[in-house]
Amino acid sequence: MGVGSYVSRRKFLRWTAGAAGAVAAPQLVPASALGKDGAVAPSDRITLGAIGIGNRGAYVLNCFLNEPDVRFVAVAEVKKARREAVKKMADAKYGNDECKTYRDLRELLARPDIDAVLIATGPNWHATAAIMAAEAGKDVYCEKPCTKNISQSLALAAAFRRTARVFQAGTQRRNLPHFEFAVQLARTGKLGKLHTMYAHPNGMATVQSGWEPAEPEPDKDDVDWDLYLGPAAWRPFNKKLLNGFHFEKGGGLVGGGILEWGSHCVDLCQWANDADHTAPVEYNPPEDGIITARYANGVKLIVREKDWLPLGSCPVRFEGETGWVEAGDSGKLVLSSPALLAGRKVAEIGGYPATFHVREFLDCVKTRAKPKANADVACYAHIACHAANIACFLGRKLTYDPVKNEFPGDEEANRLRSEALREPWRI
Amino acid sequence: MHGYIVPLKWACLAFFALTAAVGTGSAAPPPKFDEQQQIAVLQTGEPQEKALACKRLAVSGTYKAVPALARLLADEQLSSWARIALEAIPDSAADEALRSAAGTLKGRLLVGVINSIGVRRDVNSVELLVGRLGDSDAEVAAASAVALGRIAAPAAIKALESSLAQSPPAVRPSVAQGCILAAERLLAAGNVEEAARLYQAVLRTEVPKPYQLAAMRGAVVSQKAGATPAILGYLRSDDKDVFAVGLWLAREIQGPELTAALIAELKNVPPAKQAAVVSALADRNDPMALPALLDAAKAGPAPVRIAAIQALGKVGGAAAVPVLLTAAIDQDQAVADKAIDALTDAKGDGISEALVQQLGNAEGKLRNVLIQLAGARYITAAKPLLLKAADDANGDTRAAAVIALGATIDQAELPWLIARVTKPPRPEDAQPAQTALRMAAVRMPDREACAQMVRSAAQGGSVEQRIAALEVLAAVGGQVALESVAAAAKDLQPEIQDAGSRLLGEWMSVDAAPILLDLAKTAGDNKYKIRALRGYIRIARQLDLPGPQRLAMCREALAAAQRPDEKRLVLDVLRRQAGKASLDLAAGLLSDPALKKDAAQAVLAIAEKIVDSQKQLVIDATQRVIDAGVDADLASKAKALQAQARGGR
Repeated sequence: MGVGSYVSRRKFLRWTAGAAGAVAAPQLVPASALGKDGAVAPSDRITLGAIGIGNRGAYVLNCFLNEPDVRFVAVAEVKKARREAVKKMADAKYGNDECKTYRDLRELLARPDIDAVLIATGPNWHATAAIMAAEAGKDVYCEKPCTKNISQSLALAAAFRRTARVFQAGTQRRNLPHFEFAVQLARTGKLGKLHTMYAHPNGMATVQSGWEPAEPEPDKDDVDWDLYLGPAAWRPFNKKLLNGFHFEKGGGLVGGGILEWGSHCVDLCQWANDADHTAPVEYNPPEDGIITARYANGVKLIVREKDWLPLGSCPVRFEGETGWVEAGDSGKLVLSSPALLAGRKVAEIGGYPATFHVREFLDCVKTRAKPKANADVACYAHIACHAANIACFLGRKLTYDPVKNEFPGDEEANRLRSEALREPWRI
Repeated sequence: MHGYIVPLKWACLAFFALTAAVGTGSAAPPPKFDEQQQIAVLQTGEPQEKALACKRLAVSGTYKAVPALARLLADEQLSSWARIALEAIPDSAADEALRSAAGTLKGRLLVGVINSIGVRRDVNSVELLVGRLGDSDAEVAAASAVALGRIAAPAAIKALESSLAQSPPAVRPSVAQGCILAAERLLAAGNVEEAARLYQAVLRTEVPKPYQLAAMRGAVVSQKAGATPAILGYLRSDDKDVFAVGLWLAREIQGPELTAALIAELKNVPPAKQAAVVSALADRNDPMALPALLDAAKAGPAPVRIAAIQALGKVGGAAAVPVLLTAAIDQDQAVADKAIDALTDAKGDGISEALVQQLGNAEGKLRNVLIQLAGARYITAAKPLLLKAADDANGDTRAAAVIALGATIDQAELPWLIARVTKPPRPEDAQPAQTALRMAAVRMPDREACAQMVRSAAQGGSVEQRIAALEVLAAVGGQVALESVAAAAKDLQPEIQDAGSRLLGEWMSVDAAPILLDLAKTAGDNKYKIRALRGYIRIARQLDLPGPQRLAMCREALAAAQRPDEKRLVLDVLRRQAGKASLDLAAGLLSDPALKKDAAQAVLAIAEKIVDSQKQLVIDATQRVIDAGVDADLASKAKALQAQARGGR
């Protein structure tokens, strides 16, 4: 055994890959997924469908297509151009003409041969489509933010528990080594008693979808406006609203706000505080661009725009009594002391690839284990963001009960926990 | 109508904004709207105004708004908006309005109203909903079934149960869903028997598979006894979906009875399923599973062994060490890797002690694995054995031992490692020793003393040794290290000077700044001047500095910079430091033809950040951009910002 095998292959990938800079994310395919000749046995193959595939969706779908045990068979998309683009990509990949296209997601979900779906619609559809998929017996990888409000977050978790389906939120930073290392430093007491966590919201402003002047509605086959609106309240067609990424991101009531990146950064803080099944109990509205929340165990969560080290987007920082760590999308970590590394070189994977997160999901589809960003985890990470947004909206301090999932005695805040879905949709 | 910037609290209700990008101010309560005014809008406004009024009333409306909202329930465009408010208003008047609408509406609008009744769990609507279960419109009947399930009142449950088998195929899945939702409510309320009965009712009925599977899970969760045989039954099923439910429950249901049953079941499960069952067993974190996991890890198909090995890493403790060590030298590399991972991460008393004990007697491949593990687990008790191994005849063993020592030795033993670098027993021992020294040095509690030792040892060494020492010093940091690297940057030996300059340029503390600035001005070689200046600017950009200090560094850097490239880097720093001083500095470069565009971009980026707080400053600065004769695009942006500062957006 040479020096190079100081750590095993997995450890090597986890801790030392690209120590000198960002590297392309390596593929990790469990040997168990491969037959003797490297081909995947049909019984080990996961049949995948996709719902709502734009730019982000195409990236994640490619991560799936690169996994040898995935067979992608169908796409549901309300926009014809995108439907056809996905089909072209899939057919080129497989060298056939077999990728089916649907305008209506219900047709895709009705197919019994599909095991799992990638949902990458705009956030307006995420929770509704994910719950529909679970009820149709599919496992789900769903882009973030997964829910528009507290009520949807709870419904999502309940649906996946009820149906015993596997869910992975598209919060891929949970499967990147430097973020995981930072989280583990906090969780295992290496920073001393954890007292403060910081998350970057990427703006606390909302992204609001409006009611634009009516324009002639396109042919349903080109853009199905009714399906595009889906669970969002009705408004006339206007092409300015066709950017699914921003459309009705926060349900239109309290907006996207800190949810956009909070679903990543706050999620990592939840993990670091071993608080995956709860949420902060107190939320203060912004003061000079800083939102402060507090968990029942006394740990503070600070959502702030400024004063980050230049470590790329989506940074988090965890502070304990004896040390701190900060990490961001550059793949780099900054530590209060190099001793925290304890001789390790943490893999420096920049660019927040979803490769590892997708792979973990696929493995869990097979073992039925819960992925790191499962529905229960995603539920409370999103609740923390929604509750902070409500505090922003109301401009006052809020108290939240994460067991009863209510703002005790606060009718105004409680009203903001949910919003009616347009007919005929329900969750 | 779109694209303007509004603070969060206003954007929430400012209905026509498509995007909003500012949120750094302090929060204030949302505007209070007069309810009567909003009600009037519902009666006379344009559709979009009515929609906005619905949103406002969802937050603060009362029973007074209900009649006007109820009138919109029949409006195909605005019904969903009205329900946003009606679902939220806690007064019973909202329930009455929805019930009333349910008596008159048809089609999708009726479905929406029924959905809202379900969300509000209006027990007074049960009779109405039961009547709708037989509606000729299957969507209406289906919505009613789900709403009844959400309400879960006795009469609702009775109706769902009795219609389960009789309902038409298009409705039956929703009736099943209603039963399952109702069973969940019963379970949450502690009514276990009633919940179990409902789940069983679904299981007896021909419903689509996902509902069967949900009922299977529910039936087990609601059982006081008999859960274990049911789960085993699922695990024995040839149906992969039923097997999947079994695996889910094998993790969800707690208790020793199920653990014991799963262990026994391992012998019966076909090989293709064994790994999944082992994985589920491991996720139970039950020590009772240990003997079975040990057996599974020893022999059999690789996927099963790997699943067991991973499980042993979590729950095995010291008792799993012998089996895992055997696996760690397995011919199958995947098995061996997983075993090493498991031993590296395993937690529990006695594991490290067991590894040290084994190391004392091990030979060959096993010895090397144990050396590796001693380092990976930072086992200081292994040091005597590692020191012995560091003199082994086998080169791989020596290298592994030295690296393991890098992870385990303390400051008193650092001279041994330094000597290993400066006087390696064999030439090939130098590289691992350098790696180990770096690993060790960064862990030392007294970094100044550590750096002093490294510096002293390097004096008089070869160029390679001196460079290696500089690398270690740079990793350690601190005053001694900085002095050493700074001196190296002026060394007469070109290789040393190059290494010193490079390491100084990457320094991660602000005390390197004055040294870098001095080098940027005085270094003999222009290459080193540029490198030093870039390092200086990097510190200004990257490190946590007070604003005035960062700006002062920018001024110094601009004064020292000879080339546009470095001035552009300074502009990048200024963009991040929004304020009057940074704006002035950036604007000062507008007159430089090579930098005009970059400077204008920086000025506009800064101006955008302060446009709401320092309007006159922005007006003046953007005018300077316009006057500088920038391209049309930048001029247009400058004018837009100027207009914004003047309040004319």
